Parts: sequence; C-alpha cells; structure tokens
Amino acid sequence: MNLKSVLAGIYALTYHSTKKLILGRKAVITLLVAIFVGAVMGYAGSMSDDPLDDGTNLMDTLILFFFMPVMAMIFGSSLMRDEIDDKSITHVATAPLDRAFSYVGYYLPLGIAVSVWMVVITSVGMLAFFGQHGGIGPQSLEIYAQFVSLVVIGSFVYSSLFLAISVLFPKPVLVGLFYAFIWEAGIASLPGAIQNASIKHYLRSVASGWLDFGDISTWSHASSVGGSAALLLGLTVFLLLLGAYVFREKELA
Amino acid sequence: MMPLENGPAPIIQARALSKWYGQVIGLNNFALRVLPGITGIVGPNGSGKSTFFKLVLGLIKPNSGTVTVLGKNPWKNSDLHSKIGFCPDYESLPLDSTGREYLTLIGRLHMMPSSALSKRIEEVIRLVEMSKAADRKTGGYSKGMKQRIKIAGALLHDPELLILDEPLSGTDPLVRKDLIDLIKRLNKEHGHDVIVSSHVLFEIERMTHNVALVYRGRAVAAGDISEIRNLIDRHPHNIIIEGEGTIALAKVLLDQDYVVSVAFNGDKSSMTVQVSKPDDFFNGLPALIEKTQCSVNKMYSLDDNLEAVFKYIVGW
Repeated sequence: MNLKSVLAGIYALTYHSTKKLILGRKAVITLLVAIFVGAVMGYAGSMSDDPLDDGTNLMDTLILFFFMPVMAMIFGSSLMRDEIDDKSITHVATAPLDRAFSYVGYYLPLGIAVSVWMVVITSVGMLAFFGQHGGIGPQSLEIYAQFVSLVVIGSFVYSSLFLAISVLFPKPVLVGLFYAFIWEAGIASLPGAIQNASIKHYLRSVASGWLDFGDISTWSHASSVGGSAALLLGLTVFLLLLGAYVFREKELA
Repeated sequence: MMPLENGPAPIIQARALSKWYGQVIGLNNFALRVLPGITGIVGPNGSGKSTFFKLVLGLIKPNSGTVTVLGKNPWKNSDLHSKIGFCPDYESLPLDSTGREYLTLIGRLHMMPSSALSKRIEEVIRLVEMSKAADRKTGGYSKGMKQRIKIAGALLHDPELLILDEPLSGTDPLVRKDLIDLIKRLNKEHGHDVIVSSHVLFEIERMTHNVALVYRGRAVAAGDISEIRNLIDRHPHNIIIEGEGTIALAKVLLDQDYVVSVAFNGDKSSMTVQVSKPDDFFNGLPALIEKTQCSVNKMYSLDDNLEAVFKYIVGW
C-alpha cells in the first residue's frame, strides 16, 4: 500500500461521507438550528443598544457554549456507529485500505460537514443580529471572522472527540449527551483546576484572546491563547490516534 | 476442496478455528481446506457460515486456531482485500446512493484509476444485468436487484476470490436461476474462485459438486456432493406412517433388512419407522401395504429438512 493509494482511499471516503452528511436528512436539523439562531439573534439585535458587545455575548452563548458541541455530537456520534450497527461499513472494512486510514476518511468529512453547517449557522446569526444595525461594518466583520475561525477549529476538535466516542462506546449518543450537557455545562462551576477540563474552556480561552468585545474578552478564567491552541491540537491528534487504533482493533461482527 | 491435505494449494485453510461471542459459540474447532473452483458452504441458519466468512475477511479475529486466505492471515491484513470480493447476506448498500454511485465508491476504495473505473463499472453492470437500474437509488431496488448490485460490487476490482454469503436468499425462482447461472459463469468464463453459502443443499448442487457441510460451528463433512449424499444415505431415516391396520404392517416391516426399528406413536394409528435404506423402503412399501391389507392415510419423512440431515451426519 503506497501513499498515493492511501490518499485515494481517504479521498473516496471523504467525498462520499461529506456528501452524505451535508445533503443527508440531518441537514434538516441544521436548518432548524439556523432558523432558531437567526430568530433569537434577530430579535436580540433589535433590542440591543450596544451591538458589538451584545452580539459577541450572544454568539459566545449560543454558538460556542451550546450549539457547537451539540452539532458535533449529532453528526459525530452517529456517523460511524450507524454504519457499524447496520453493517453498511462492510464495504469500507473489506477495502484494501488500512482501517486506521479509513478512520481518517471518516474524520475529515465529519470535520468538514460540522464546519460548513456551523459557519452557516454563525453567518445566519450574525446577519440577523447586525442586520438590525445597518449591516455588518468593519468591527462586526472582524467579530464574524473570529467566530467563523473559532467554529471551524471547534468543529474539528469536537469531531475528533465524538467520532472517537462512537467507536469506543456501543451507545455513543448517551455518552455524547453526557459530555455535551452535563460535563461541559457543569464542570465550569466546580472549584479548582478541574473547571478547565473541557474543550469548551480552551476554545473560549482562544476566543478570549482574539475577541475585543463582550464578556469573553475580559474572562478571568481564560488560559493562554497559545497554550489553549496547543492543547486543542494535541487533544485532537490524541483522539484521532486513539479512535484509529480502536477502530483498527475492533471486531466488526 | 478436499478434507485431506493433498492436491493443489488451498485458497482457504482453516485449522482448529474457534470463535465465540460471549456464551454463544460461532465456530468450534472448525477445520476446512477450500481448493480453487466453486465451493458451496451449506448449513442451517446459525450454523456458523457467516462467522467463517467474517474470519476469512478479517472482520473478526479467532479466539483460537488459524485461518489463511490465499496463504495469508486475514486479520488486520487490508492488502489481502484487493484479492477478495465479498457479497454479504445482509443489506449493506447505502440506500441514498444510486447503484452506480455505490460502485464508484467501491472502485475508489480499491484505488482504481478513474478512467479504468468507469469502464469496469459498465462491464460489471452489464454482467449482472443491471444496466437499466444502475442510476436509480438502491433504496428502491428489489431484493434481486440488491443482490445483483452487491455481486457487481464484489466483482468490480476483478478479485481472485469471490465470497458470496447467501446470494440467493429472498430472491424469486427466476432471479435464483439467473444468479446461479451468473455464479457458474464467473468461475467458468471469468476464472474467479467462488465460495458461496446457502442453507439449501439443492441450490448449491446446481452450482457445484464441491460442498462443505457446516453444522453447529463445525465443518461436519466436505468433499464431492455425491460422497456426502452417500454419507447421508448410510444413516437411518425416520418416516411417519399414519392409517388403519398399521400393526400388521409394523410386523412385516420389522422382517425387512432395511428397517432399523418401528415405534408406535400414541394411539397406534401412527408409527415411526426408522430405515437404513430409504430407497429400498419406498420401493418395497406398496407391496407390503397390499400384503397386509392396511390402509395408509398419510406418510411423511421427518428428515426432509437440512437440520435432520446434519443430525444424521454428526450423530446427534
């Protein structure tokens, strides 16, 4: 197996799964989320006297805090698990592509699809909010660009987590729900360093360093931007290797 | 396929292969040599055929024993998949893709160059006679069409070895005939070695004379189907006879050398006759009925199902 063959196999899976994720039935969920975010931010925009701070706070709460992990969980915890459970993964498992590389062929489309949908949701929210204040100016455009960057980074980090969960656990949705709604939501309120033990903490730490508006820009618990970015990258690589190893060793009965 | 280790090199060799899932035994000390050509794996549902195929494909690993495919261990050996085509017995098609899109994905996963892939897709679509339906979503396919497109997927990369797990299941008689003809052609005209499983012995007989019988996780017999039929015939068959005046018939039956035993069931209007030579029994019975003047209302064999055949062979 040479590099060209491996890349061809990964590309084939990436192309197929990206199409499936973006054009599949779950797209309806994303559109509903986009409509919800648009409605909430549009209404909030019409009430706001301080759009740059209020817009940033809302994006932080709605996008980074809530929908980012939820969307990654919805797509990530089912992509491989559904195929393992209904055995449609057979054509991948019987292809001459090492399963560790096949795993990458699932990770990339997941990261791409979650990124695409999160960018759509972010864009709808920003347009709805700043549309109430005469459109997107230079400062709001900067906020938009920073949030788009954050959701793309978040999409790939969360995707690595939920994809690994989907091969590690037989009921990944339950584990994903626990992580997204209980761990990430509750951990920040605990005392001591344990409150840093979540992807959200480090993603928001990066946001804290980047953004000049909103409460996040003065967040006192933020870790350093460089350290947070390195930790997110390290975590993503670790989860990718872990998932690939588990999938390679997994029996597909 | 031969039970003894002689002749040409086997394409599959399983030695003392065991696989269990928790408390459930999938394969138990399974031994088999599969030689080139078409080989039928016959066994009732749950006998271990699919478990054997999963081990051959490296989808699962054995708890003990070894299996080699084309001389190599299949577990974590993805390179081997370039030489094997697999058609599973379950629904494995992505239902939101067309037949052609499915084949394109399979071809790309097998790293086929785009130009060669398009040409090959046309060839296999024609071969399985799916030209008209290739651009329809597979979710709308009939069972027979799904089987054909799965076989096309297995054939696409022109593998040395084709593994077809219950390819005829759920198909109507016409489709069965077509698929049987196709499988024979794949070996005869295209040179593929084919391993095909079924729980219906006579379907396999129409494809090949090389058969392995699998029962309760073991390969209980392997070889030419005529040898296996002889093996089956050496074991007693149970036949139920119902009617009036059967006591007299029982007496004369016991004098026949092909009758092993006679036992009455409940009210003596029904008896179970165990015979060692079913052909002799069925040939001689009309004369015995006439001689004893009994009236037979109903007669049937308890052993017309495959399960009974296997019980004979393994002595359970």
